[in-house]
Amino acid sequence: MDRFPSIILAAAFGCFAISMLLSAVYPWAITDASQAEASIADVAANITEEFADLKKSYPVSFRQKLGEAAAAADAPLEAMQAAHAEALQRGRDLYIAEGCWHCHSQFVRPVANEEARFGHIRTPAEENNALQRPVLWGTRRVGPDLTNEGGKRSNDWHVAHLHNPRSTSPGSVMPGYTWYFRKGFQVFRRIDPNKAEVANIDPDTSYPYPGLYDTEEEAREALETIKANLDPTVAEEGDRLFVRESVGPDGDALCIIAYLQWLGTWFPEKPTEE
Amino acid sequence: MSEAAAISIDDVRDEAHPLVDKDLVRWHLIAAVFFMFTAMLGGFIASLQFLNEYPFNGISWLSYGRLRFLHTNEVAFGFLVNSFVGMLYYAVPRLTGRPLFNRTLGWLIFFVWQALVLLTSIGQLLGKAQAVEWGETPTGFRPGTFELNYVPVDFLIEVGAVLLAINLLYPIAKSIHKRLYVSLWYITAGMIWLILTYVMGNTLPEWTLAGSSGGATAGLYIHDLVGLFVTPFGWGLMYFFVPIILRKPIWSHALSVIGFWALAFFYPLNGVHHFLYSSIPMSVQYGAIIATIAVEIVVTTVVVNFFGTMWGRGYALRQSIPIRWFYTGMVFYFTTCLQCSFQTTLTFQEIIHFTDWVPGHAHLVMLGVFAFWNMGMIIWLWPRLTGHEWYSRRLLGWHYWLVMLGLLIMFLDLTAAGLVHGFMFKNMAPWMRIVDSLKPFWWFRTFAGAMIITGVSCFIYNLWMTAKHDKPYDYRVDLVHDPKEAIANG
Repeated sequence: MDRFPSIILAAAFGCFAISMLLSAVYPWAITDASQAEASIADVAANITEEFADLKKSYPVSFRQKLGEAAAAADAPLEAMQAAHAEALQRGRDLYIAEGCWHCHSQFVRPVANEEARFGHIRTPAEENNALQRPVLWGTRRVGPDLTNEGGKRSNDWHVAHLHNPRSTSPGSVMPGYTWYFRKGFQVFRRIDPNKAEVANIDPDTSYPYPGLYDTEEEAREALETIKANLDPTVAEEGDRLFVRESVGPDGDALCIIAYLQWLGTWFPEKPTEE
Repeated sequence: MSEAAAISIDDVRDEAHPLVDKDLVRWHLIAAVFFMFTAMLGGFIASLQFLNEYPFNGISWLSYGRLRFLHTNEVAFGFLVNSFVGMLYYAVPRLTGRPLFNRTLGWLIFFVWQALVLLTSIGQLLGKAQAVEWGETPTGFRPGTFELNYVPVDFLIEVGAVLLAINLLYPIAKSIHKRLYVSLWYITAGMIWLILTYVMGNTLPEWTLAGSSGGATAGLYIHDLVGLFVTPFGWGLMYFFVPIILRKPIWSHALSVIGFWALAFFYPLNGVHHFLYSSIPMSVQYGAIIATIAVEIVVTTVVVNFFGTMWGRGYALRQSIPIRWFYTGMVFYFTTCLQCSFQTTLTFQEIIHFTDWVPGHAHLVMLGVFAFWNMGMIIWLWPRLTGHEWYSRRLLGWHYWLVMLGLLIMFLDLTAAGLVHGFMFKNMAPWMRIVDSLKPFWWFRTFAGAMIITGVSCFIYNLWMTAKHDKPYDYRVDLVHDPKEAIANG
């Protein structure tokens, strides 16, 4: 390198080093350096109400994705925590892969009435966890911010919204994520039309029991169990249990929803109310 | 620039031992134009999602979210890298009087690079993308582990960039000239920065730093990829091509070196301005704001230098289509940077962040500046690479006006949409009211995109027909010294 002016190399490496020092090392040193990054197990330790509900509402998909141990009705806390951690990790990965973060920020700013609209502003300590690596702040909002999404809406709302966003938010431009839904067989119950009228329910409405089974036989078995356990004072003549094809969220959809329902529920230090 | 002009004459004379491997240049440009078109088509189709007219709904690998990855990544790695590398393979040997380090290595890099761009797009469509903007290239590893789940594209791009640096920096190190022209300063530094930036942006936020520290490095990466890779290559090549076409040296060499140093110092300090009002310490945010405003001074020196060079050659804007692209790009560059020094302030950020203003700005800089410059350079080089005169000068005009007006409409439309969004948001309008208010703007954006795609289709058809038809290019045009005659015929 006889003629290579070292001054160009100095400019290239030197200026880059200065920038790293000022915009990466320095902010790290005064925020995250003093505290270890929280692991996924840490952030999953507190099981959200909605995660427990996902297990009850979608037992088959839950079992298929997150295992028998956690799917059991009397699953020990450790098994549920492990399943929660797995769901958060998987949900976060899908949130990244589908580019959700291109249109939904996780970044509430202390201006433009954002705190009033979206709630709590995150501190560096709250963001220093494995699910924020890489950070998911986002730079564009076509949809609302999701920083504090956890617990804001029901699981069922999220299922319907994920399948067809316009069903819950008319006018939305979000795509439907139908490939996270699977077909199967489900037990339905049609209520006695006379009773439905009293209860002010559309007489044609039949409602599903939790559990979307892959085969019709499994669904029929489930039907028998339900029938055997029906409360005779409620089950009257005219009520009808039947099996029919249906669509429901698969395990991946449950992971995405578990992740959304977790957002904003985990804090290393709970803010004190004053 | 008299040296470069002299070398170009020698090159024409000595066909047996050319300095430049024209095939290598030509194939890089073909790949660049191919990816430019697919990237633009991807962007256009993605824009249909905003109108709820998306054609591929329900197909996971063609869904809107995944196609958007393809749009931005193919522009950066498929279009701009290919085009810049082709131009550098042309410019660097001429500026140094030395051929590339190794021609076979050049072809190896060419094929590997195209494979990597394709693997990036395929990986993103299959759901292997990462969450760092412009760094969505798949790592190939499951996040946070060392289990491979795809081709490790990140790592291979780093290797490819190092090989490219060897191929390009060798002739610069062995230059026959005692002093290096300012283009070579930009190119040398840009090559080193490309490697450093890519390694930084694809390791720190994904592997080591979470939360706000990771956000700071992700901001650095977004910005450095534009500021430390695209900008130095772009300006380096402008300093090469503009004097050649105008047949006069650059107005001020002193200003050009000031521009280089100021870019080297201030640009890398800007990164954090992408995340103002975040949990990154406020002192760092203020630093980034000040550095961003300082960049405006750099930009002014460079733009003044180029308009000084243009002095007395104004007719070139009308007669030379490449010069028209270059100087339109420079006007947009100045606009972008002026916009930058305002929008980086906390006052502007409160309203415009998270709105369509930002994509408007991004399109102005990536399409309006760097794509314009690259298309201008391709238009100048193509007859010299194929040996054929342009098939249709009229189509070149259509290409210019359709793309230029399309971009202008898109920029103004998105900027207005951003202001509507920002103020409605601050005034607590319900979210769906905001979305409904933006829909007319999104229709205009798609219309502008259609104009751009049409213009680029004219361009591609013209490139193809030029390569096919048989009217030979008159190389004597390059030997003419009289600027009036050279510009009118070039």
